[in-house]
Amino acid sequence: MFQSRFIFCILLCVLCIFVAILSSLFSWCPMNRRSFLADSFRGFSGLALAAMLHRDGYSAEGKWAPPDGKPHFTPKAKSVIWLFMNGGVSHMETFDPKPALTKFAGKTIKEGPVPDAQDPEKLALARVTVINDANGQQRNKLYPLQVGFKKYGKSGIEVSDWLPHTGSCIDDIAVIRSMFTTDDNHGAQTQFHTGRHMLDGEYPTLGAWVHYGLGTLNENLPQFISMGNREYWNLKDGHYLGPAHDAVPIRVDPANPLDYGKPELPVSAEEQKLGFALSGKLNKLREKDYPGDSALDARIKSYELAFRMQKSLPELLDFSKETEETKKLYGIDRNETKAFGMQLLASRRLVERGVRFIQIQHGAGGAGVWDAHGGLKANHSKNCLAVDEPIGGLLKDLKRTGLLKETIVVFCTEFGRTPGSQGTDGRDHHIYGFSVWMAGGGLKGGIVHGSTDEIGFHATENRHYVTDVHATILHQLGLDSRKLEIPGRKRLDVDHGTAIKEIIA
Amino acid sequence: MSSIRLALFALVLFPAGVSAADAVDYRKDVKPVLQERCYACHGSLAQKSKLRVDSGANLLKAGVIVPGKPGESELVLRVSSENEAYRMPPEGHALKPEQIAKIKTWIEQGAKVPADDAQEPDPRDHWSFRTPVRPKVPEIANHKSQIPNPIDAFIVAKWNEKGLEPVKFADKRVLMRRVYLDLIGLPPTPEQMEAFLKDDAPDAYEKVVDGLLASPQYGERWGRHFLDIWRYSDWWGLGAELRNSQRHIWHWRDWVIESFNADLGYDEMIRQMLAADELYPTDSKKLRATGYLARPYFLFNRTTWLDEVVEHTGKGFLGLTFNCAKCHDHKYDPIKQIDYYSFRAIFEPYQLRTDLLPGEPDVMKGGIPRAFDCNLDAKTPFHIRGDERNPDKDREVLPGLPKFLAADGLKISPVKLPVEAYQPLRRAEIAAMYLKSAETKLAIAKAALKKAETAVAERSEFHAWKVLPARATHTAAVKELEQLKAAIADPTKAPVAFRGAVKSAESNVETAESKARPFPDTSTGRRSALAKWIASKDNPLTPRVAVNHVWLRHFGKPLVPNVFEFGRRGTGPSHPELLDWLAVELMEPTANPARKGGGWSFKHLHKLIVTSNVYRLSSSSANAEASLKLDSENKYLWRMNSMRMDANVIRDSLLHLASDLDLTLGGAPVPMAQQDASRRRALYFFHSHNEHNKLLDIFDNANVLECYRRTESIVPQQALALWNSKLAMTMAGKINDRLHAKLKDADDTNFVTAAFEMILGTSPTKDELAVCLESLAELRDALKNVKEPDRTKRARLQVVQALINHNDFVTVR
Repeated sequence: MFQSRFIFCILLCVLCIFVAILSSLFSWCPMNRRSFLADSFRGFSGLALAAMLHRDGYSAEGKWAPPDGKPHFTPKAKSVIWLFMNGGVSHMETFDPKPALTKFAGKTIKEGPVPDAQDPEKLALARVTVINDANGQQRNKLYPLQVGFKKYGKSGIEVSDWLPHTGSCIDDIAVIRSMFTTDDNHGAQTQFHTGRHMLDGEYPTLGAWVHYGLGTLNENLPQFISMGNREYWNLKDGHYLGPAHDAVPIRVDPANPLDYGKPELPVSAEEQKLGFALSGKLNKLREKDYPGDSALDARIKSYELAFRMQKSLPELLDFSKETEETKKLYGIDRNETKAFGMQLLASRRLVERGVRFIQIQHGAGGAGVWDAHGGLKANHSKNCLAVDEPIGGLLKDLKRTGLLKETIVVFCTEFGRTPGSQGTDGRDHHIYGFSVWMAGGGLKGGIVHGSTDEIGFHATENRHYVTDVHATILHQLGLDSRKLEIPGRKRLDVDHGTAIKEIIA
Repeated sequence: MSSIRLALFALVLFPAGVSAADAVDYRKDVKPVLQERCYACHGSLAQKSKLRVDSGANLLKAGVIVPGKPGESELVLRVSSENEAYRMPPEGHALKPEQIAKIKTWIEQGAKVPADDAQEPDPRDHWSFRTPVRPKVPEIANHKSQIPNPIDAFIVAKWNEKGLEPVKFADKRVLMRRVYLDLIGLPPTPEQMEAFLKDDAPDAYEKVVDGLLASPQYGERWGRHFLDIWRYSDWWGLGAELRNSQRHIWHWRDWVIESFNADLGYDEMIRQMLAADELYPTDSKKLRATGYLARPYFLFNRTTWLDEVVEHTGKGFLGLTFNCAKCHDHKYDPIKQIDYYSFRAIFEPYQLRTDLLPGEPDVMKGGIPRAFDCNLDAKTPFHIRGDERNPDKDREVLPGLPKFLAADGLKISPVKLPVEAYQPLRRAEIAAMYLKSAETKLAIAKAALKKAETAVAERSEFHAWKVLPARATHTAAVKELEQLKAAIADPTKAPVAFRGAVKSAESNVETAESKARPFPDTSTGRRSALAKWIASKDNPLTPRVAVNHVWLRHFGKPLVPNVFEFGRRGTGPSHPELLDWLAVELMEPTANPARKGGGWSFKHLHKLIVTSNVYRLSSSSANAEASLKLDSENKYLWRMNSMRMDANVIRDSLLHLASDLDLTLGGAPVPMAQQDASRRRALYFFHSHNEHNKLLDIFDNANVLECYRRTESIVPQQALALWNSKLAMTMAGKINDRLHAKLKDADDTNFVTAAFEMILGTSPTKDELAVCLESLAELRDALKNVKEPDRTKRARLQVVQALINHNDFVTVR
C-alpha cells in the first residue's frame, strides 16, 4: 500500500517535471499569459478588426471570429528578424556564383550557354508598371562576375568575398537560389512584403499577418517594430487588417526612439506623470456614466501601454550594459558598419523581450541603395561591407544565447540583377531568378535550395514566388494563413504560398 | 421523367436511415458549398448548360443527383473528377475532400432538404435594385411626444417591434457639442454654449442648427466627408515626376466646399463632376468639378487609370462593385464581364488637360485640371479574364450599362462644343495673357540686347561676338510674339504652346501624334448621359447610397452596413422603410418645401436628421439593461452612438479651443513643410499617397486610395501624440492662458469647472472635481520650487493636458 503510494508520488513528480519542462520549452506562450492577452495589446487590436468587419456587415455570416493569439499548431519559432535590402541585390555577386558569366563575358546571351533565356514566352511573367522606363529592361551582353567566391563551413557553400562574416555562419543558413517575382520595377519592394503586384492595390504585409495572428509576449512593447527609412514603398502594413497592425517605427536613439516618444516642449517628468495619472483617473470615472463602453476601455489601456512604451524603449535602446566584445561583434565600433550594427543589436534585444516581428529596411531612399544600374562593383562592395559584419554578429550572438533556435532571420531583397550589363559597369533589375536566405527558427542550416540556370537568368529547379517565403515563416511560427482569412477579403492560393518543406529541419 | 418521379418518391419515402448524429444537414453542410462554388453559373444569375443547382428540387429535376446513390450522381462524379476538363467547378481549386464527403453522405442518406427549401430569388428583385417608393409613415400610439418628424416614427416603430425602450435625451451641453462637431467639425465656444443654455425659446436648438448649416465651416466639414468618398488627393509621383492625380486639383476641392455651402443639389453635383465639360463647356467655375475625373490619373497605365474610375464611380455613387466583374461575370449581382468593359467605354474617350488661368501662363504654377473627350472613337478592349495582355480582338465593346438597371440603355447624343471650349485661345483674356507674357519677354530681351550692344560699342571690334547670345534671345522673343499673333489671328493653327490649355500625357498611350492633335470640337456625350442616369429620380441606388452616407456620419453607423456594397453580397438595411422614405425625401422634399430649386438638398436632409428626437438621445447605456440585452449593438438606435472624432476634427478642435484657428476658406494646399506651423484647417493640408501629415495619420486620416469611411483605431501612438506633440502641448498652453485671462483669480474649483466645460463641453461631476483638486495639490507639491502665480498656472496646465487626453475629448458623445 505504502509502496504503491510512493510509486504514485514518484510518477506524479515525474509528470510535474515533464509538464514543467514542456511549459518552459514554450515559455513564450504559457497559459498564464493567456489571461493577459485578453485584456492587453491585442485585446484592442484584434477586437478593433472584429469591430471593423462587424460594422461593414460581415459578422452576419456568423462563422468568423478574430484569432485568439494562439498558434494553430506547435510552433518552431517565436520571432522574426526581417532584413530587407532596398534596391535589388545581385544574386550572382552574393550567393549564386556564375563562373559562366566571366567565361562568356562580352558575348550576347544568344552566344552564351543559355541561348534561349530571352525567348519571349520565358519572359512572360513580368507585369510591367512603368512602360518604356529606362530601367527594368533586358540586357543581353553578359557581364563578368565582379567578385570572387570562397567555400565556407562544413557545408562548403560558396559565398561572395564581399560577405566573409555571413560566410562564416553559412552552416546555419538555408540559401534559396530560385526566387522569382513579377514586378520589374521597385514596386517589387512592396510585392516582397505583401505578395501582391503594386497594380493589384494594397495588401497587408507579412509582419502585419504575424502581428494579427499571434498574441503579445511583452506588455511593455509593440509586437511589430520597423527600423530604417521606408521611403519608396508604402509606409503602412496593416491595410485591411487595420492600423493596429502597422509596424511601429523606432529609431536606435535612446534619446528619441519614436515619434512623439517624449515631450516636444519642456516639462518635468514628475509633472507629466501626475498629469498622465489624472487623465487615467478621469477616464476611469467616466465608466460610471458610460458602462460597457469598449472604446473607453480600450483608450484607457492604450494610454497605459503608451506610458510603458515611452519608459521602456529608451532602456531597451541603451546599449551601455552590452559588453565591448558584443558591440564589436556587431561592428558598432566601425563607422562603415555602425548604423546597421546598432539596428541588429537592438533587434536581438527586442527578440529577447518577446517582440514578434522586427522589420529592417537597409538603404531606403530613392529606389534603394542596392540599385546598381552603374558602378556595381563599388556599390555592392560598399553595401556588403555595411551589412555583412552586423549580420554575422547577429547570427553568432543569437546562436550563443540560444535565441537562434526560436528566431528566424531573413535576408531578402525585391529582385536580383541582370546577368547582362547595363551601361559599361552596372546591372539592371532582374525578376526571373534571385536569391534570399533564412536562418534559425527550426530551419536547416548549411543547405542550398533551388538553382538558376548557368548564367543566373531563370530560376530553374524548385522555383519559388515570394509568398513561399511568407508561408515558410508562418509555418515555423505555427500559423496557418488560411485560418487567418478575413470575411470579404478573398485571398488566392498564390497569396498563401507554400512552405518550403525542403529547408525545414 | 420517370426517373425523376422515382427519385422524388425516394426522397419522400426514405428520409431517415442513419442516426441523427451522422446525418448531414443540407442547409449547413451542402447548400453553402454549392452556393459558394456553383450558384454563379448554375443558379439565378446564369444557367450554364441549362442547369440550376440552387435547390433540392432543381438538383433532382436536372438529374444530377440520384438519392441514395452517390456513385451514380453526376454532381459527385463531377466535383470529384481528376480530369480537369470534366471536373467542376472549372475555375479555382477543386472542392475539399471533406466537402465532397459531405455531399456523398447527404445523397447516400436520401438527399433530404428542408420543407421550405427554395431556389435563389431573381437578382432583379433585390431590394436596392427596385425604385424606392415613399413608404407610409407609421402611426405610433405611444411615444407620441417623441415624434417631431417622420424619422422618429420609423425609429419608434422598430423600438415597439423589438420591445426596446429608448434612453433619455442627452444633456443640453452634450447635444450642443455633438451638433457643432457634426455640422461644422468644431466644438462650440464657451460663449456659444452659454447663449444656448440661456435661450428658453422653443426653437432655440433649431436656431443653432440653422446657424451652423449657414456657416461656411459647414461646407468644409461635409465637403471633406464627400472628398473622402470621392478619394480627393493632391498629386504624387517620384520626386518631381507627376504620376498620379493632377497639380492644382485643389480647385475641385474648393468647388466641393462651395457646392456644399451653396446647397447645390446632389444630382447637379454628380452631373458637374462627371460631365461639366459637356454640360457647361465654357463655365470655368463648374469645370473645376471634373477634378473628380482628374484624380484617378495614372501616368503609366491607362487600364489601371480607368479601372479606378469604374470601381469608384460604381462604389461611390451606386454602391455597386463593378470591380468584381473585371475578370469574370459578377458572382452575386447580374453584372456581366462585358458590362464592366461597357461601363469603362463610357470613359474611354476622356483625357485631361489643364486650362490656363488668366494671369498665369505657367501651367506648373496654376490652372484648372479638367476632363475633356479627346479620342472620340477610342476603342475599349475586352480583356480575357481581366488580363490586359490578352484582349479579345473579336469582341466589340460599346458604351452602356448593365441591363438589369437600365433596360433602355444609355441615351447618348454627341455634344457640339462652343469654339472657346476647344480653342481656349479664342478667349480674349487668355490671348491677352499670352500677349502680355510675350511682350514682357520681348521687352526684357530688348533691354538686354541694348545693354550688350552698348557694352560692345565701347570696346573693340574683337568683342562683337559677346552680343550674340542677347541677340539670339531677342530674335527668339520677336519670333515668339509673331507666332503668337498669328495664332491669335487663326487659333485653328495654334501651336501646342499657345493653346490656352495643356494636355496631360495620355498615360502609356501618348504618342508624338497624340501630343500635337488639336482638341476635338465635339464631345461624345457619353459621360453626360451617364451622369443624367446616375442623378435621375428613377435610379434606385443613387439616393439610397447618398442617404446612407449622410446617416453614417450623423449617427456613427449607417443604415446599410457596407456603404459601398448595396448588391446582393451586402447586408440589407436595418430600417428599410426609413431608408426608402429618406431617399424619396431627398429627391422630393415635402417636410420642408422651402427649398428653392427642387430636391437633392443635403442641408434639408441634415436638418431633418439633427432635429429628430433620435438624434438627441444620450449615448450612454446606463440604466438601460433591458434594451442592452435585446440589442447590445444598438442596431435599432435606442440610444445615440458615441463616435471618435476624425483626424481633422481633433486637430482643428485643439486649435479652435486655443483661439488659434485660421478660418480662411479655400486656396492652394499648405505644403508639408509648413503644416506644423500652419493654423489653417486640416483639410487644406497637402495630402497625397506619398505626402501625408504625421499627426493626422495617427488618427486615421483619409486614405487617398479608398476611404468610404474612416477607420476609428485606438492605438498607443495616439496617446503619445496628444501628450507629447508640440502642437498639442502648445495648444494646451494657450487654452490654459485663455482660461486664466478669462477667470482672473478664480479658485481651483472654478478653474476646473471652466476647463471641463471648454474642453469636454460638460461640467465636472463631484468625483471628477475631487480628483482634479487632489491632483492639483500633488502638482503644486511637485512644483515647490516655482513661485506663485506661475506655480498654480503650471499645475493647472497639467489639468488642461489631462482633459485634452481625456477619452471624451476625442469622442463625440
